[in-house]
Amino acid sequence: MELRGVSKRFYFYEHRTSSLREWFIRRVLRRPIHVRHAAFSLRNLDLRVERGEALALLGHNGSGKSTVLRLVAGIYQPSAGTITSSGRITAVIELGAGFHPELTGAENIRLYGAVLGLSRRELLERYDEIVEFAEMQDFLDTPLKYYSSGMEARLAFSVAVCLQPAILLLDEVLAVGDQEFRARCLERLRTFHARGGTLMLVSHELDQIRELCTRGVWLREGEVVMDGAIDTVLAAYRAEPR
Amino acid sequence: MVSLAPGRIERRARFRLVWRYRELFRGLVIRNLKVKYQRSMLGFVWTLVNPLLTVTILVVVFSHVVRIQVPHYWAFLLSGYFVWNFMLQTLNTGTWIFAEHSRLTRSVAFPSEILVFSAAGSRLIEFAAEISLILAALILLHHHGVPSSYVLVPVLIVLQIVLAIGLALPIATLSVFYHDVYHALPIALASLFYLSPVFYPASMVPESVRTLYFLNPVAGLLTLYQEVVYAGQWPSATLLAVTATQAAAVYAFGYAIFHRYAAVFAEVV
Repeated sequence: MELRGVSKRFYFYEHRTSSLREWFIRRVLRRPIHVRHAAFSLRNLDLRVERGEALALLGHNGSGKSTVLRLVAGIYQPSAGTITSSGRITAVIELGAGFHPELTGAENIRLYGAVLGLSRRELLERYDEIVEFAEMQDFLDTPLKYYSSGMEARLAFSVAVCLQPAILLLDEVLAVGDQEFRARCLERLRTFHARGGTLMLVSHELDQIRELCTRGVWLREGEVVMDGAIDTVLAAYRAEPR
Repeated sequence: MVSLAPGRIERRARFRLVWRYRELFRGLVIRNLKVKYQRSMLGFVWTLVNPLLTVTILVVVFSHVVRIQVPHYWAFLLSGYFVWNFMLQTLNTGTWIFAEHSRLTRSVAFPSEILVFSAAGSRLIEFAAEISLILAALILLHHHGVPSSYVLVPVLIVLQIVLAIGLALPIATLSVFYHDVYHALPIALASLFYLSPVFYPASMVPESVRTLYFLNPVAGLLTLYQEVVYAGQWPSATLLAVTATQAAAVYAFGYAIFHRYAAVFAEVV
């Protein structure tokens, strides 16, 4: 996976949802209709991730970590530069996006699997594994709205980690469930990595990062501050005065 | 190997992507129907009751008060009203479909037209049930037999779905940027109701403006339904060809608008 010279600019349209009346008044008064502010989220980023690497993106809020994940996943388009990757990418940016409260656990597993791009056959193959990993056998026929938020997150996470993509992108979704479930999730991700899967994650739980990742990339205002072995980068990141 | 760069995804690539996500389409269609009908004892009956009530009122008004000179007016009205209802509901869906799925659009890279397709798809399943009932009712009570023109109904359904999606896509795209669409569409649709041959036949429209009248593709579609379902006649090949061309043109135009802006939805919704 390689990002070459990638920039991402966001525009904030001040009058994006303005009314027709206002549009008309502005037209007549010859005021600008769209006030467009551009803000760089990423600036000329180069990043090469080899197959089987486990990489953590570090940085404070707004440093562009999630933007990198969204760009790699193809949710955003780069404003400049190219991103190339090979193999199926699964991105878990928000856990359970696509879950519907009125549907049962089993139905939501199928729907979320489809959201993440599984075909029907792949889903059938993985279904039992997902249910087993979530330990939700007893609640499969219960509508999701009766689940606790922890259970819901567990279900979503189980679908995501059972997909076995080539590249797995996780955006601050590791903090789900109880201690025991978290431990199993970490175990699962380690196995994924050990089998040659590429992992890229954003997390503020630095201890988890140290356990899982081999490489750290520290971002600040869309630019790479430091890139190297996870321990070195973590040490520098921790030492940085806020 | 996937490569992402600035600029729009090519249309062919986009089509392949939609095909790859067909399981999501299926899942969403099933979800739409399940969520609508679960925990409702009468279920589909409700879907029928509302338009049937309107049809009843229209029949009373236009055969006893305003007196539109159409024999078996109820059969005439049934053959077009449910098609109109389908268009109305599918187009209305466009105004909120992306807003409702904003979490999905912001966090998953899937082709977002799937949302519009699946909304139309689940509505189409309901329509299939409605039109079957209408065809059966007209066979029993109106034609007293099965007119050969009924074989054309599937063709008309295809035109209808192409037209509906072709209109819903740009409506949905615009609603992402302008909430005005949400307010303007009901007014537009209310006007379209009177400008389309729903409760009167297009033959009542003065000859001099009829060409203009049929620029509205919904007018062609409804007239085709009335000829095939109500009159039990083969429609004029010209009208069929014109309406098919219109539907294709509307779809191409609507999809182009959607395609131009789809890449930034994730940043805007």
